[in-house]
Amino acid sequence: MKKRFWLPIALLAIFAMVMAACQTAEEAAPVEEAAPAEETVVEEGLCAGVQPGDEITLLYQWSGTEEEKLNAILAPFVEECGVVLKPESTRDQALLDTKVQAGTPPDVAFWNVAQLEQYKDTLVPMDTLGANGDNYADFFKDPGTIDGVWLGLPVKADIKTIIWYSPAVFAAKGYSVPATWAELDALVEQMVANGDVPWSMGMESGDATGWTGSDFIQDILLVQQGPDYVLSLISGEIPYNDAGVKQAYETYGKWAADPLYTVGGAQGTLSTGFNDAILKVFSDPPEAMMVKQSGFAGGTILEQYPDMVYGEDYDFFPVPGAQGMQGGADWLMVFNDTPAVRALIAYLSSLEGGANWAKASFDLSPNKGAEGNYVDPALIKKGAALANATGFTPDLGDTIPGGFGSAEWAAIVSYVNGGDLDAALASVALAQSEALQ
Amino acid sequence: MSKNSSGIMRQKPMTPWMYLLPALIVMITFIVYPGFNTFYLSLRNNDNSGWASTRCLAGQPCWGVFENYRYALTSPIMQTAFLNNLKWIILMVSGTVVLGLLIAVLADRVKYEALAKSLIFLPMAISFVGAGVIWKFMYNYGSSQVQIGVLNAIITALGGQPVSWLTEPQINTVALIVVGVWMWTGFCMTVLAAALKGVSEEILEASRVDGANEWQVFWKIMVPQILPTITVVITTMVINVLKIFDIVYVMTGGNYGTEVIANRMYIEMYKNYDPGRASAIAVILIIVIIPVMIMNIRRFQRQEEMR
Repeated sequence: MKKRFWLPIALLAIFAMVMAACQTAEEAAPVEEAAPAEETVVEEGLCAGVQPGDEITLLYQWSGTEEEKLNAILAPFVEECGVVLKPESTRDQALLDTKVQAGTPPDVAFWNVAQLEQYKDTLVPMDTLGANGDNYADFFKDPGTIDGVWLGLPVKADIKTIIWYSPAVFAAKGYSVPATWAELDALVEQMVANGDVPWSMGMESGDATGWTGSDFIQDILLVQQGPDYVLSLISGEIPYNDAGVKQAYETYGKWAADPLYTVGGAQGTLSTGFNDAILKVFSDPPEAMMVKQSGFAGGTILEQYPDMVYGEDYDFFPVPGAQGMQGGADWLMVFNDTPAVRALIAYLSSLEGGANWAKASFDLSPNKGAEGNYVDPALIKKGAALANATGFTPDLGDTIPGGFGSAEWAAIVSYVNGGDLDAALASVALAQSEALQ
Repeated sequence: MSKNSSGIMRQKPMTPWMYLLPALIVMITFIVYPGFNTFYLSLRNNDNSGWASTRCLAGQPCWGVFENYRYALTSPIMQTAFLNNLKWIILMVSGTVVLGLLIAVLADRVKYEALAKSLIFLPMAISFVGAGVIWKFMYNYGSSQVQIGVLNAIITALGGQPVSWLTEPQINTVALIVVGVWMWTGFCMTVLAAALKGVSEEILEASRVDGANEWQVFWKIMVPQILPTITVVITTMVINVLKIFDIVYVMTGGNYGTEVIANRMYIEMYKNYDPGRASAIAVILIIVIIPVMIMNIRRFQRQEEMR
């Protein structure tokens, strides 16, 4: 009996001590942090209304060096306003979906353009948050504008309409960089005649197999039809089984399914991982002469061959004859409107934010402040290619919602694997009309 | 409750329910409610903002509120999936049961029985994803001169042309089924071996004394005796195979004509964000599995009665 008597008392005592401990902490905290707040707020209008110690929860897909670059870009803002960033890094979109559905979304998410459409009812508009829209070209704001409301801030861009090659190999074999599509076609035939394999077109990517092909085909569309045609596909004015799309598929298929034109022919295209496909152009001896891949390919090459020098061992040229650039961006979207988040948006959408993004060499920044601030030679060239582009189209598969993207990939895979092209395109056209009804 | 029963045995009518309550709560929360909700969602459109009939396109066939079921039953990709699941059932169930039985019988007669059985059972301990990755390497098709895939290395060493196992239609589904058989043979073997141990030595001895050869002993004594177990193993495997997902997801992602029902369900849900279609596929999968499950439960009950 004695023991039982003491137990609740002991528990009560512990409880009381814990409570006491918590209370002192709560009281003490604001006193300590109040002082620096006044200094910074006065200095810059940026941090208006922000209490030092305010937290921003972030969700993004970057990790490792990418995350370090992001931290470097955000460092001046964090220092200025004294906010505390609570980042979470994952490539699993189910995490974002679950958080939003549970009503506990992150304050800020850096994600894909499709999520702007998916969460258009939940997101806080950029104009409400005071984003500086003047610093962005219209073609960058348009994909982020859903039903007339600007919902996403494009922070990081990558261009896709480029072809990677080895200048050293080109020089040794006497090939020159083509300036028009006809020249590219002639170069490809010349390579085949010389016994070289022109392309490395491997597109295996797990359950996303086919996206490399969809990028290539969209670039061919930009050459043969132009950006307005692609935008009409996105809006649904032109069905996906249109003759122009079929022509692009046939141009692509001529190369992608033939062992003379691409490493391993159709089966090589289907079963070679997209990263391996990049490296095949830079192996010794090279298995292929060229690979069409987005800007990230440079990083893949360096990871495998750290000694390679940009401009000598590897380089890229824009797809010749392409009327406009295809590119993708990572989008900042806001779920909770707080003073700290407003300050973050104000910083990133300012010219200074764009300049800092460029200096950190974290791919391209759509922000006009980035111009002239790139330090990495490859980024300088990419930035110039983007600046010279006459038009800009987002990725078809990323932009049309619902099952369109996976239907498009499935069609490409089936076509390269010898399936009927008309049936494949009809199934994508059906997914297109279902998505855009 | 007879009048003679003692006070201890007498219960209020509610009492049994009290004992059942925890189990019922768990069942209702995690099975019954999600089940009904899945059915409800399968009648809704892709973002649950209206009935599925709103998805119908002008000029296309339409099943009204069952529009998602039209997709799940008639679309070309789902028909491929049904056909492939059928292939899986025929090849994988027969493969695992026949091999499992064969190994169980043979291993019974060797000294290193435990070792042999552990080796066969080992793949069972590997996760499906792990097995998928391992076999993806086995099947690797190198477009260059060097083949890092074991199978293609052997073929090219013998002077043949390498085969792209996972992308060639007709070959690829069978290649995936081989992985399934490799993983599940151990399970069938273990269950069947346990049943074989239950066949009494006296009967086997007696039949041999009477002049039956081993072939006859196997077919006329062993198989009839363990038939109920074989049936249970077969039905369990059929249910397993109907739900097959991991191997396909990891190795081909359902591409190149290897789609199966469960993988399509995943793609509709998590890649296309279409809970309506995913739920319709889920409901169909349940409906297909239920008869097999009932058969399985009946068998179990009969087996219990025999003991």
